[in-house]
Amino acid sequence: MTTAVEEKLELFKGNPEYAAKPKPALVKTGPAAYLAVDGVGSPDGAAFGEAIGALYGTAFTIKMTRKFAGLGDYAVSRLEALWPDMNGEPGAHKTQWKWTVMIRTPEFVTPADLTRAADVLTKRGKGDGVSKVRLMRLNEGLCVQALHVGPYDQECKTIAAMKDFAGQHGLHFAGAHHEIYLSDPRRVEPAKLKTILREPVRKG
Amino acid sequence: MKTVTLGDYKRRMLQVLVHIQQHLDEPLPLEELAGVACFSPYHFHRVFKGMVGEPVKEYVRRLRLERAAQRLKLSPASVIDIALDAGYESHEAFTRSFKSAFGMAPSQFRMARGVRFARVPSGVHYCEPPSKRFRTLSRGGRMRVEIKTLKRMRVAFMRHTGPYDEVGKVWDLLLTVMGKEGYLGGNPMMLGICHDDPEVTPPAMIRYDACLTVDDGFVPSGEIGVQTVAGGEYAVTTHTGPYNQLGKIYAEFLGQWLPRSGRELGNSPCFEVYVTDPGSTPAEELMTDIYAPLKEEEAVR
Repeated sequence: MTTAVEEKLELFKGNPEYAAKPKPALVKTGPAAYLAVDGVGSPDGAAFGEAIGALYGTAFTIKMTRKFAGLGDYAVSRLEALWPDMNGEPGAHKTQWKWTVMIRTPEFVTPADLTRAADVLTKRGKGDGVSKVRLMRLNEGLCVQALHVGPYDQECKTIAAMKDFAGQHGLHFAGAHHEIYLSDPRRVEPAKLKTILREPVRKG
Repeated sequence: MKTVTLGDYKRRMLQVLVHIQQHLDEPLPLEELAGVACFSPYHFHRVFKGMVGEPVKEYVRRLRLERAAQRLKLSPASVIDIALDAGYESHEAFTRSFKSAFGMAPSQFRMARGVRFARVPSGVHYCEPPSKRFRTLSRGGRMRVEIKTLKRMRVAFMRHTGPYDEVGKVWDLLLTVMGKEGYLGGNPMMLGICHDDPEVTPPAMIRYDACLTVDDGFVPSGEIGVQTVAGGEYAVTTHTGPYNQLGKIYAEFLGQWLPRSGRELGNSPCFEVYVTDPGSTPAEELMTDIYAPLKEEEAVR
């Protein structure tokens, strides 16, 4: 006789893709699914805040709906963001920055799950921004990664070290600048903020 | 208007300590001890532990044992009579407790010379007349605490009755049921109201409410009820670390910071707000805000 053991799926804890140290390192990332919201504007602005709220609301609603229906359990991952224009040196003014905020999600989450969650949240009066949440797949392949400890506006030092490291390995940055937020900036002082920085790289 | 001082707190706590020593033969329930010096019964055990350095029950038990030890030395009464006076129902139970406190059996203690009581944080031991001084701990006096004014909050909740470390089950249930209905949208607060102190109440009887803030549209059903968390001023401190360290933080907060704050606690329970998601946060980075209700300053006489 076999017993089905219900295991909680962990996308974040124990995943080597999220085990960065301050020293840059190479990491192989596989294809991954995300809930995501695209936008433009300062990370201190209202649109960015609304996108994060919509993302978390949707992520937890999908998780709990599936869990209630007996479709398995998983931990909601950390907040991440892509900053496509920002390959080390932010050129444009803050208010022009393009971003995609996202939360890693199990592959088995379907567009129907997303639609249902958006409907429930809207009906509940918690629908601000949820219509902008989409399912997205990302395949970054080989990346250089480092843990940045400190304020966001001092990332350039860490990025410079990552660029040097890539150069030493005959690689160059070849994708959107990717940040994985390990600390909540509303609660942690800037000097102690922990952020994983990820840059997809290619040979040559 | 006069604010309460550390001296006031110490004087009131001393009244409690003296009362304990004078009534060691009585059951000494918490409510009675809190009442002796007008401490709020909701918080008394934590204030006591933080100020005196021992849980109340532990303190009472120790004083009964110390009194028994003194009687062994000074009176001809039999060990069993002394054991009964100390609140023990059998010779064996008394001997066991006595041994763990003094390192030897009561009969050996009677013969021994120059035995000293083990050091305790407050420095208070059984003696006649009762000691008029005690040491207060001060480590938590420098905690980072903010005074916040809260609006009244409506919360959906599920009650857990049982060991504190099993509250995860009721959270799981509450969040699953509420989550599928869309109540996790809009960044609601997650509160834990602990009606009993895990250090005082037997594990099986601890009452804990897992609460999620909701708006007026929420209708309670099944096991999910609704209650209101009172608005007003709260002292708030943040604990960063595993949940099992919260007991220590409460004691420092209410027993060491509070007496130096010039404020008094209100008559409602403390609550915890869980800032981080335990699903994706390592235990040492978990953040918990502890809210302690304050009496209105004007009301302090």
